[in-house]
Amino acid sequence: MITSRNKLYTILFIACIAGYIWLYLSMYNNQSEINSLNTCFIKHTTNIPCPSCGSTRSVISLLHGNFNTALYINPLGFVIVLIMLFAPLWMILDFTTKRKTLFDFYNKIEHHLKKPHYAISLVLLVIANWIWNITKGL
Amino acid sequence: MDAQKVDMFIMSNTKFFEAHQIMAIRERLLTMDDSKWHMISTVQFKDPTTSLIVSLLGGSLGIDRFIIGDTGLGVGKLLTCGGFGIWTIIDWFMIQGATREKNMQKLQQFLY
Repeated sequence: MITSRNKLYTILFIACIAGYIWLYLSMYNNQSEINSLNTCFIKHTTNIPCPSCGSTRSVISLLHGNFNTALYINPLGFVIVLIMLFAPLWMILDFTTKRKTLFDFYNKIEHHLKKPHYAISLVLLVIANWIWNITKGL
Repeated sequence: MDAQKVDMFIMSNTKFFEAHQIMAIRERLLTMDDSKWHMISTVQFKDPTTSLIVSLLGGSLGIDRFIIGDTGLGVGKLLTCGGFGIWTIIDWFMIQGATREKNMQKLQQFLY
């Protein structure tokens, strides 16, 4: 539970900026350089991919229009692309109209995610994705 | 409220709150009505040490944030591999304070 609108928007803003910088770096830099700069902590220490490993590659292939490749690499890429596209637009809209619709939406989603049947099914999905990631050998 | 009860509450729950909040909680409890004692004495708090252990082990997946109730931030941490590993390390130091803050929020619902 984040208590104020501006705190949430600051965190989201920083996250989006960091995401776009990261995306820019990975798209226009040498691919082998990125691979050697293994960002994932889990993969770095245990050599096992984590549930969200490969999401950068997934987002990049989505930007190139390869939906099937993106889905194959990591379905979470779709979620990330949706958040990165809509969060900044929604924040700008909220700032210009001086409302807090995104904050209310965030709280509502958080409230729903805490309900056991949603939480358990989503956790199972993430675990399934993790197992798929390991078998794919990302 | 009875000073003895309040001191008992403070003594058994000190570790769940920030040190600077303790005195304010005590003052507030002393002025409160005795009928609220049952509610306040049965509130469940999250242990900062537990969340630190969870943060050290499962911080990259955001499990620590899920545990203290920051579901939104937990999802963000999960999606970004623990904020590219940076957020994970930051949270090793932040999570205890965040847990105490959560406990304070929880208690505040009963205090005011």
